[in-house]
Parts: sequence; C-alpha cells; structure tokens
Amino acid sequence: MPSKGNVYVIDDDQAMRDSLSFLLEAAGFDVTLFESALKFLDALPELAFGCVVSDVRMPDLDGIELLKKMKTRPGAFPIIIMTGHGDIPLAVEAMKLGAIDFLEKPFEDDRLITMIEMAIRQAEPAAKSEALTQDIVARIATLSPRERQVMDGLIAGLSNKLIARDYDISPRTIEVYRANVMTKMQANSLSELVRLAMRAGMLDD
Amino acid sequence: MELCGQAGWRGAKRSESSGVTSIVQPSAETSSGHEHYRLRIEGFGVGTWDLDLATRELEWSGAARGLFGVAHGPSITYEAFLALLELKDRARTEHAIQKAIDGGGGFDISFKVSGPAGRGQWIRARAGLIKDESGVARHISGIFLDIGEEKQLEEALKTRESHLRSILDTVPDAMIVIDGYGIIQLFSTAAERLFGYAEQEAVGRNVSELMPEPDRTRHDSYIARYRSTGERHIIGIGRIVTGKRRDGTTFPMHLSIGEMQSNGKVHFTGFVRDLTEHQQTQARLQELQSELVHVSRLSAMGEMASALAHELNQPLAAISNYMKGSRKLLAGSTDPNAPKIENAMDRAAEQALRAGQIIRRLRDFVSRGESEKRVESLSKLVEEAGALGLAGAREQNVQLRFSLDPEADLVLADRVQIQQVLVNLFRNALEAMAHSPRRELTATNFRVADDMIEIVVSDTGSGFHDDVKPNLFQTFFTTKETGMGVGLSISRSIIEAHGGRMWAEDNASGGATFRFTLPAATSES
Repeated sequence: MPSKGNVYVIDDDQAMRDSLSFLLEAAGFDVTLFESALKFLDALPELAFGCVVSDVRMPDLDGIELLKKMKTRPGAFPIIIMTGHGDIPLAVEAMKLGAIDFLEKPFEDDRLITMIEMAIRQAEPAAKSEALTQDIVARIATLSPRERQVMDGLIAGLSNKLIARDYDISPRTIEVYRANVMTKMQANSLSELVRLAMRAGMLDD
Repeated sequence: MELCGQAGWRGAKRSESSGVTSIVQPSAETSSGHEHYRLRIEGFGVGTWDLDLATRELEWSGAARGLFGVAHGPSITYEAFLALLELKDRARTEHAIQKAIDGGGGFDISFKVSGPAGRGQWIRARAGLIKDESGVARHISGIFLDIGEEKQLEEALKTRESHLRSILDTVPDAMIVIDGYGIIQLFSTAAERLFGYAEQEAVGRNVSELMPEPDRTRHDSYIARYRSTGERHIIGIGRIVTGKRRDGTTFPMHLSIGEMQSNGKVHFTGFVRDLTEHQQTQARLQELQSELVHVSRLSAMGEMASALAHELNQPLAAISNYMKGSRKLLAGSTDPNAPKIENAMDRAAEQALRAGQIIRRLRDFVSRGESEKRVESLSKLVEEAGALGLAGAREQNVQLRFSLDPEADLVLADRVQIQQVLVNLFRNALEAMAHSPRRELTATNFRVADDMIEIVVSDTGSGFHDDVKPNLFQTFFTTKETGMGVGLSISRSIIEAHGGRMWAEDNASGGATFRFTLPAATSES
C-alpha cells in the first residue's frame, strides 16, 4: 500500500506515541515519533513535508511554544494539537497560533485521520473545506440572537454565570440556551464548538 | 440606749403626769427619784425638753442645749427654737408638733440643727402631749437624741446602695435576686431591658414566670429539691438555659446563680447573660466554615478531576488508538469471525471515548462557574480568615501581626476562595511554628502595580527543605503525615484563576513566606 504521507507525532507519553504510530500506520501513513518538541525541532531541517500531531503539555517545550516557533520558520508544516486537559482559552490560543485542529484525548480516530489527510493534501481540499465552512455558517444562522450571544460567551471561555451576568438573565436559562447551541451546532464539547467557530471565521483576532 | 430612754420616758409619763412636768422644770430641782433618773439619762446624752403651750416657752436641759450646740439659757421661745433648725426641716417639725397638739398622742421626728458652718447635728425628737385634769393640752414633753451616728450609717448605706445600683445599672448582665421561695426581690435595669418587665412589676412575682415550660412549672420544685438535698445542679456552676420575655418570646441565656444567707433567710442571686447575639455570631462562623469546607471539597474534587483527566485521558486515548488501529488491520481479513471482532473493537473504543467524556464532564462541572468575583476588602478577608484559621493561635503563644495598608485594600476576588487560600496559609504557618521558640505570624499587603496587589503571609517556622520547594505546589505532594497534598495546589489554582500568581520563599527569620497577587479593584471603575 503506498504511503498516504508523513506524520510526525510528538508526545512525552510513551503509550500515546506507540498507540498513535500503530493507529496511523494501520491507516496508511508513514509515522515518525518524537518524545519532545525540542527533538522534533532538531530533526526538522532533515524532514520531508508532513503533518505534525503534538501534545500540548510537555516538559521543556510545550505545544503552544512549538506553534510559536513553527510560525517563524519557512515552509510551515500543518500542526494538530492534542490535549489530555482541554480548556477553552488554550484551544483558542492554539487555533490562533495556526493549529489546524485541537483534539481532546481520547479522540475519535476518524476525526484525526480525516484532519491529517486534509492537512497533507493542503491545496486540494479547498472545495470540500469550503463546503464544510458553508455548512457551519448555515448552522450558526439557525441560532436565535440570544443563543448566538451565549455561543459568543462560551467561545470566549466564559462560565455560565458570567454570561448570565453579562446579559442579566439567570444561569439556569443560560444552561437551556447552551444546550440549544450545542445541539444546533452539532458540537459534542466546548473545544469542538471553538473549532467550529474558528472555521466559520468567528474567532479572527 | 434609745430603747432604754424611750421606755424610761414612757414609764415616767404614765406613772405620774405632774411628775413629768417637775422633771423638766429646773426651778423644781430636788433630790427626788425622778431627778436621779433624769440626770442618769442626761448622762447618756439624752436631752429633755418641755414646751408650755400657753406661754410658748420651751424649757430644756443642759444636755439638750449641748446637743443643739447653743449657750442659750434654760428656756427659749418656741420660735427661737424653730429658728435653730435647718431651714428645710422647720416647717416639717412645726407641722409634726402641731399635729400632736391637735390630735393628741406623740410624735417622733428627726431634723438637723443649722449649726455654724453647716456643722449641724442630726437630732431625733420624741415627745408626747400632756393634758391637765380637765383634758386641756398643757405641755409637750419629750427628749432629744443625738442620731449623728445612725445618720452617718444611713448615709453610708445609701451611698453603698447607690454605688451598687449604678453598677447593676451598667453591667450588661442582668441581675435578679429571689428569696427561698422563688419570689423576685430585686430586678436590675439590665433585667428590665432583657425581660421586658419594669422592676416594680417584676418584684413580688415568682421568677418561674421568666421561663418557658417545662421549667416554669418545675422551678419551685427545683428550689425545694436544692433546699432539702443541697445538691447543686446550677448554683455555682452556671449553664445555658432559655429565658422568656414578657411578650412570650424566648431567647438563649447563660445563667449563673449564687446563694446567700441574710437575716437567717436564704436568697439566690442570678446573673443572666443574653446569648442571642453570641449564638448568631457562632452560627455565622459555622456557616462561613461550612461554606469554606464546601468550596474546599469542591476545589479538591476539581483538582483531583483535573489531575485524573490528564492522567487517565492518556491511557484512554492509547486504548482507543490501539483498538482503531487493530480494527483497520482486521478490515482485510477473511476470518469468519472478523465482523464480530470488528464490532467488539469498535465498541471497546467507544467505551474508552465515553470514559474520557465522563471525566471531562466531571471536570467541567466542578471547575467551572463556581467563582463569583466581587469587590472585596482585603483587611476584611484577612480578618475573617484569621477568625477561622487562627482559632487557638493565642493559646499557642503565636503573635499575630496584621499590618494591612488601607491604600491597597480593595481586590476583585471570590471571597470564599481567597479566604480558603488564607486559612490554608495560616494553618500551615501554625503547624510549621508548633515547635519553634519564636512564633510570629504576619500578614501584610501592598500595591505592586496599578492593577495588582500583593499579599504576604510570613511565619517564623523552620522554612523549607531544599528538596521540598520545587514540589511545593504540586497536587498530592505533602510533607505532613496526615496531609492530602492538595492545599497549596488548590490555593495556587485559585489565585491563578483570579489572574494572580502565588509563590513561596525563605525569609530572614528562617521561616516561610508565601506571596500571592490579586487584581486590584480600582475605585473609579
């Protein structure tokens, strides 16, 4: 089976590296493992184009720092960030720094594989990507003004209470709006909601 | 002495009315038995006198003149006599004498002599009306007694009583004196305020009326039991009981009772302290404490959930990856069981994802939305946290020095959470100083930037070992035998959630100093 492309996995957890290599090789990728971001950066000049899959919380150099360093280098590799400990501000920061996705462990293999494939094919998926973006924009359009406000609050990392205070409605009511937002946006988690918002261009600086 | 004079006088008067006249008439001085008698009572300082109602002349003995401190002769006009009295006593005295003349019988009155420079003598006058055979009032005869000493005693008693009164009026504790049957004898001003009865209405009532049931009906038997057995249940011990006000409402009170014997009768004195406010304070403290415990549990859960999320999500992700990888490899297999195995692997991977979801939900639940930031006064936070975390510190001889800068007082913070941080730091400090010769705990604050305020908590304990410091704020790291190792880690999480920083350092006295920053609440915003 011909290789579907290079994937560089950076994670300080040995089981994570090994299991990812097993999964991604089974999916037809050439996988190279790094136990730290520094080791990856050392090897980077020799590496052929590929997709980087990196953990965010690591000693020495964490995923956010890696994104910053990669931004300054020419011929950027697409980077997918994984975390065992997701929070909204971190997801937003990663996306703003150019991560193409932000995954919370454990994640669905299809999501990861689809993202890697898209990243490696780069230019090609424009049409498909455009269709996806249109779809997300359409979902946002179904939100009521109140639901839209709640979504804005959530992707800004605000708690229910804070949103409730901003709009002077009860936190209980916010919970209802929040549930509606998640349903209409087809988001399973807050970080997924953030990713969708990113896609739709709601999060540009 | 007085009794003797009185009896003697009455005896004389009754035995022979004309003889009385002769006693007080110096012109008739003889060596009769009466004269001896008169001289004897004169010797005791008792003056004798006689007022002739017809002439309005008053004849008096040498002792009587001595009492008045005057050198007048053996007789004086009635008006001149009255003029010797203190102005305020004259009318009263004249009135008493007139009443005796009009109505018959005797009188007994005390007055003060207007002596030179106010050195007036207190004198008691007792006398009776003497009539002639036809029943016409002729004389008033009687004695003068020096009652200066009695008056002094009376004054002293009055002074002492008014002292006692003023004390009883000012002490916040109410005082009630009852007799051996429970009848109220004395009811202080504080008692009036506390129970809503005026002293006049309370005195004479049974003290049991100040109690709710069942004490109300049982109180008499309480006293009876004590008086027959001498067994003390409350006397000299004191206890918390319930009192009942006039309007029927009840309140908690501390009652201590003393017993006293006076004139062979037993009395009980009760001191009552209203505990309403005390109990409210206690309740408030307890409320605050349970609030803190709640948040600390919540934070500990959040901390644990965070740690668990990180630690467990890694292996869960690995499980899911292995499953999905195997599933893909199996896709090309011709094994007849392949579809079943594929299905099982999908489900196993799903369960790993579900476990991740559960942890994520739990973490979101405990770590989000509980922070309610307000503009808070640091000095108040420190004081309240001190009340909670430093109970017993003074008994341990720990010196507390809170020198808080009022210019850096207002912070934007979740009160309960910051108090939790402070209580945690205070308790750590107390424990660290348990074996130190010098025990001093200080808390200070100052502005580090326009928008940040730093709080410093220092102790004089043994400081940090070198190997401890790097791990100080790690979850589940502890140097204590019974510690969970979440306190400092939670504290730092709380401070960081507020947008501040928290760190530790050694201080000059060899102890530990913890510093943290909080966003300042600017008053103009």
